[in-house]
Amino acid sequence: MTNLSTWEQFWYYLANNGSYVLSQFTRHFLISIYGVLIAAIVGIPVGILIARRRRLSAVVIGAANVIQTVPSLAMLSIVMLGLGLGVNTVIFTVFLYSLLPILKNTYTGMTSVDKTILDSGKGMGMTSFQILYMVELPLALSVIMAGIRNALVVAIGITAIGAFVGAGGLGDIIVRGTNATGGGAIILAGALPTALMAIVSDLVLGFLQRRLEPKKA
Amino acid sequence: MLKLTKKVLVRLVLFLGGTLFLLTGCSFPGVSGSGEDAIRIASQSSTESQIMANILAELINHELGYKTALISNLGSATVAHQAMIRGDADISATRYTGTDITGTLQLPVVKDPQKATQIVKREFKKRYNQTWFPTYGFADTYAFMVTQETAKEKNIKTISDLGKYAAEMNAGVDSSWMNRPGDGYKDFSETYGFNFQRVYPMQIGLVYDAVEAGKMQAVLGYSTDGRIKSYKLKLLKDDKRFFPPYDCSLVVNDSLLKKYPKLAPLLHRLDGKIDLKTMQSLNYQVDNDLLEPAVVAQQFLAKHQYFKGSDKND
Repeated sequence: MTNLSTWEQFWYYLANNGSYVLSQFTRHFLISIYGVLIAAIVGIPVGILIARRRRLSAVVIGAANVIQTVPSLAMLSIVMLGLGLGVNTVIFTVFLYSLLPILKNTYTGMTSVDKTILDSGKGMGMTSFQILYMVELPLALSVIMAGIRNALVVAIGITAIGAFVGAGGLGDIIVRGTNATGGGAIILAGALPTALMAIVSDLVLGFLQRRLEPKKA
Repeated sequence: MLKLTKKVLVRLVLFLGGTLFLLTGCSFPGVSGSGEDAIRIASQSSTESQIMANILAELINHELGYKTALISNLGSATVAHQAMIRGDADISATRYTGTDITGTLQLPVVKDPQKATQIVKREFKKRYNQTWFPTYGFADTYAFMVTQETAKEKNIKTISDLGKYAAEMNAGVDSSWMNRPGDGYKDFSETYGFNFQRVYPMQIGLVYDAVEAGKMQAVLGYSTDGRIKSYKLKLLKDDKRFFPPYDCSLVVNDSLLKKYPKLAPLLHRLDGKIDLKTMQSLNYQVDNDLLEPAVVAQQFLAKHQYFKGSDKND
């Protein structure tokens, strides 16, 4: 194999281990998605809440900011103390890092809705739930979506580090490449799909975000 | 305001802690190993360890249909051991007698392979409720090696033979071996009674290339490395039995064996089935032929019909 160039080795590797790379790709993607999904389930309601009670917002966003400053490898180790080795540790770490972009964007989206529109809603006799559901959320949706998009791209990067706590995913292939002598091709086989996943999911979510943008009258 | 902040912070911590607690028992569809149901197999970052872990996973999957999950890239035997004690892993794919006697068990070096195996078997049962299986059939020991040409030209077969030429030889060795007490370079030169002209501590992965390229005349590497086969290196016999035995076995938590009674006979299928040559060639397929350990494991088991019919009870 040593007589082949790195690119030839790369294609050779993919041809022979394609199904393995694909299974790790799916695993990697699912780990990232689950983490972001939980963060969305938690972050969006909290974001809405702090948009209503502004006094809370500084504290909550401050706390999320603090989480974001911890280096990902350190965070992984800290979470590992509680959750042990394995996938759940990585999913929880992804959740923590996804919290800030989702929270902050929900908060920003909700607070940037024009006051006059809210007032006209109230004037029409809408309940506060109706205002939230029919006015605020649709107007804020594209901003919230941008937060989720941001979170997912970061999540895919963090999941790659998850290989160090034995979670699998494409990071596993990268780490194996770093251990093998002349493993340049193996590193590429792990790194390129990771980058591809980040780019494609960013594009897809970007498309969704534009579709959700409120139409300007 | 300050009071409120404190209260909110406490709530936030409680909330995050609660989520963490809930997540511990969670199982996510499509991601094996996220729940408690799968058999978790720990492996270290070496190629050999990953191949063996994949062989175990594939064997269990194929023959018994139990779900398995791999916890790979653990840094050392100590980490793997801790993972098993904490219950994060159920099986360690590769454990070596020599490493665990001095490392995990904190006992003095034992040079006799049989005695070493007996000790780890007994102590792991007694101290940790873990079963140390019979060896796979290979030992990943430190071994001195030279190129075939050097071996033929100078008629070198054992480490003692090396002594005559050592004064004009450069040797490349694992950097962690240099100053290791008990079986390091100092004790080595006392036992064999010779020194090399110069000893270069280097990363273990580089020694094979170094000797092949002629930069070093003799190197100390791992006996199972795939490159020994591809570079046609000559392993020298440790005629004074200086290096402690590193017979490779799998270690299982007894609680798992109790939970799945069919598991022990299945795992015994691998007893003595993989000799040094086989392991070298498996490592070679991964390191040189760019096959994934998972692929190599699958092909190996398929080739041997999953060792059907060699089930054994203790």
